[in-house]
Amino acid sequence: MNVSLQAIVKRFDAVIAVDGVSLEIHDGECFFLLGPSGCGKTTLLRMIAGFCVPDEGRILFDGQPVNDLPPHRRNTGMVFQNYALWPHLTVFDNVAFGLTVPGRTCPASERRKRVGRMLEAMHMEDLARRKPNRLSGGQQQRVALARALVIDPACLLLDEPLSNLDAKLRLEMRVEIRRLVKQLGITTIYVTHDQKEALSMADRCAILRQGRVEQVGSPRDLYERPANRFVADFIGGANLVPGKVRAVINGFTIIATTFGEWTARDLHGAFQPGAAVALAIRPEALHLHASSGTDLNRFAGCLTETIYLGEATESWIRMADGFVMKALESGPGIPGRPAIAGGPAIAGGPAIAGGPAIAGGPAITGGPVITGGPARPAASVEIQFHVNPDDVIVLAAE
Amino acid sequence: MKNTGAILIAAAILSLLGLFFFWPLALTVKSAFVFNRQWTLVIFSELFKNPLYIEGLLNSLALAIVTTGLVVCMALPLAMLAARFDFWGKSWLTGLILLPMILPPFVGAIGIRQILGPYGVINAVLVNLHLMDWPQAVDWLGRGRFWAVAVTEALHLYPIFYLNAVAAIANVDPTLEEAAENMGCAGWRRFRRITLPLIMPGLFAGGTLVFIWSFTELGTPLMFDYSRVTAVQIYNGIQDIGASPLPYALVVVMLVASAGFYALGKLVFGRSGYEMMAKGSTAGSTQQLSGARAGAAFGLFAIVFLLAILPHIGVILTSFSQAWYRSVTPSQWTLEWYRQALGHGLTLPSIRNSCYYSLLAMGADLILGVAAAVVIVRSSLRWRGTLDTLIMLPLAVPGIVLAFGYITMSQPGRLFEGLNPTDNPTVLLIIAYAVRRLPYVVRAAVAGLQQISASLEEAAENLGCPPVQTVARITLPLISANLMAGGLLAFSFAMLEVSDSLMLAQKQAYFPITKALYELFQVLGNGPYLAAALGVWSMLFLGITLLLTNRLMGQRLGAVFRL
Repeated sequence: MNVSLQAIVKRFDAVIAVDGVSLEIHDGECFFLLGPSGCGKTTLLRMIAGFCVPDEGRILFDGQPVNDLPPHRRNTGMVFQNYALWPHLTVFDNVAFGLTVPGRTCPASERRKRVGRMLEAMHMEDLARRKPNRLSGGQQQRVALARALVIDPACLLLDEPLSNLDAKLRLEMRVEIRRLVKQLGITTIYVTHDQKEALSMADRCAILRQGRVEQVGSPRDLYERPANRFVADFIGGANLVPGKVRAVINGFTIIATTFGEWTARDLHGAFQPGAAVALAIRPEALHLHASSGTDLNRFAGCLTETIYLGEATESWIRMADGFVMKALESGPGIPGRPAIAGGPAIAGGPAIAGGPAIAGGPAITGGPVITGGPARPAASVEIQFHVNPDDVIVLAAE
Repeated sequence: MKNTGAILIAAAILSLLGLFFFWPLALTVKSAFVFNRQWTLVIFSELFKNPLYIEGLLNSLALAIVTTGLVVCMALPLAMLAARFDFWGKSWLTGLILLPMILPPFVGAIGIRQILGPYGVINAVLVNLHLMDWPQAVDWLGRGRFWAVAVTEALHLYPIFYLNAVAAIANVDPTLEEAAENMGCAGWRRFRRITLPLIMPGLFAGGTLVFIWSFTELGTPLMFDYSRVTAVQIYNGIQDIGASPLPYALVVVMLVASAGFYALGKLVFGRSGYEMMAKGSTAGSTQQLSGARAGAAFGLFAIVFLLAILPHIGVILTSFSQAWYRSVTPSQWTLEWYRQALGHGLTLPSIRNSCYYSLLAMGADLILGVAAAVVIVRSSLRWRGTLDTLIMLPLAVPGIVLAFGYITMSQPGRLFEGLNPTDNPTVLLIIAYAVRRLPYVVRAAVAGLQQISASLEEAAENLGCPPVQTVARITLPLISANLMAGGLLAFSFAMLEVSDSLMLAQKQAYFPITKALYELFQVLGNGPYLAAALGVWSMLFLGITLLLTNRLMGQRLGAVFRL
């Protein structure tokens, strides 16, 4: 089913929760509404389900306006954030409920068959007689999903369905839910504030902020070509550097910033010389092993902080004017701090280069960098990095 | 929920309240200010010139203050113990001490008179111990019976305060107290500076209820022949209401005073209700007592319980005694009174009448209560808070005032002439019972609805279930325990209702239990014994209902008695 939102406005007293949102969600698409809390994404979902009515604008299902249709006649299947399993009914009765309402009643035998099949698909068939309070969070999640899907809804609505699960289970369920809805070919609208969830599961995604749509696109679009600073920062995070376009040469744009000149590959020539812009540079685009590559976009700053994240290490680099760039390096074998890996990255630290990085060794007096933990380097440690011109995103200044 | 539905329900409830709550009150007030078809204050000036009425008001006030004081002294320590400590026997003791609430003080008066009277148990004990001779027998009821009335009412009303206090204390997040202790504030200081301020709104809610109740109590003073209180003066005034408008003014004074106390309570304490950031979890917050301290806690509960049921033990003994005069226990036992009671024209019909009135009132309350609670909790109506307040108002208006209003509005020539209770009080009695107990059912239903997440209902609608069916299949089953508890309370209180019953039932064929009890008690000779037998039956009946209710609601029972 196609879901079409046309200029939807919703106010709660003085607060505008949704401010003129228009979206086209295609049949069979896995569509995400993504945004920080309070951006209006849950309100939008509840309007599609019919639990609240837009003040302005229209909602169309396959071209038919449904604004005045009450929730029970919309044929959507919703998974609630708290699952909303009825505590007085068993797992089986919870799932079967939707097949016992007017218009969807079916013979008991068929009902048993459909519920059984759905529970099987969820690996829940052994727990059919249990009451929800005797299920784990993940199991409750599956029951909620089964309950929403067993009625063959025209559209599946999910309201932060994974937010109550632990991190490991969340990753598993991402894959499972995506596989399931793609298998069924059902139009799915999924609300979340977790950008990783959205990037990994969505066909397309709408980024919302303060009731407005900031950008709609595939995960790759959003990540690689964010429409504005908010999207760039919200999806994956970015170093946002204000600057001014100096020149446009051969598909490259030269941008002057407070700590040096940047070169960006700009195939569209979107900005004219003199334009005020903001550069968005992903932390992982900063290469701290600066020995290779050209001299383009090569900068030096002071390493002020290294944060050990397990699979990656984040480094904070203070530039000459005080601006702090964040760099993210991932991969095995990063021992707490990038400087040691290739050695030469630390200018003025020949003693360390190639050194065995022994804490307490005489060679490293100036570099607390070696201690191996997330230590705070002295302000004097200089570090160089460079960024590929393909990875410099030029955005309009706001 | 859809606004149109909510508005319809709210309008229906408000118009019922308007007709059977505000209208009779307004008529009464108007009658107090209109004399010879002119607006005047002459009735009030007559009233306040009469020392008899002034004395009645002062007595009522004193009775309320003393009763409330006694109640707080009895119930607050018990509540602290129950909410914070575990000890042997606690689970059934905490249930038992609620028992007096459903034993009408009205009936207990028979027992108290038997125990404290000049030929009663206490004097008999003293004589048996050779401390006294019969000629020196003391009337322990006291002159004017003031203290007998106050003690009897306190022994009846303390459970209401206790329940409020327990609920308030259980609601205090234990980490707040732990935080105080962590900063070096413990024991009595911690109680005074942290716990007490936090539970104050709950205590005050219970206290106001007890205060207004004892201020306007009719049955107990009547049974003790303590006639110089306003309630009894109003009751006696109904007989010649056509001749003298003074009772109207008395009622207005009582209404204003009660509403004043209620408003004062709301102003001073109602608003400062503190939101707990985390709800108190009962797990881990109680401390196990053992040895002498457990014994002391047990003893305190046991003493209060024994004191409270003493009057009713008196009633039970009376009902089985052939003669009980100048002896510690009855000198001869018999079942004669039960046999006679069965044959008496007042008893069986009155039981049937009471059940009939109370069941219908309970049914009406359940329907209205659920509808109102759904609007209050689930709708987005702007003035749903006002609706809530209006529905709770009958709690603040004394039964005697409302009953008087019903009599006023059904006087010849008025709109509800057809309901005049001198012919047939059935409709008015059911309405009176229903209106007065509606707040309990609403509170119970609201508490239930607030506990279940709205998304449980939304999930049903999302799967195609129409709203009315959703209420039937999801909402009602989930709040059924609350509804049963609220319904049982409404029922048992209707069975016990004294002031409405005494004032409205004027023909023997329509007497409910309480009126029959009072009439029997007045009969010379075997009257008090028959009344005792009937009282025992009603006690049994109501005791079972309350135990059921307590089982269903647990600690949440207190929420029902909140103003």
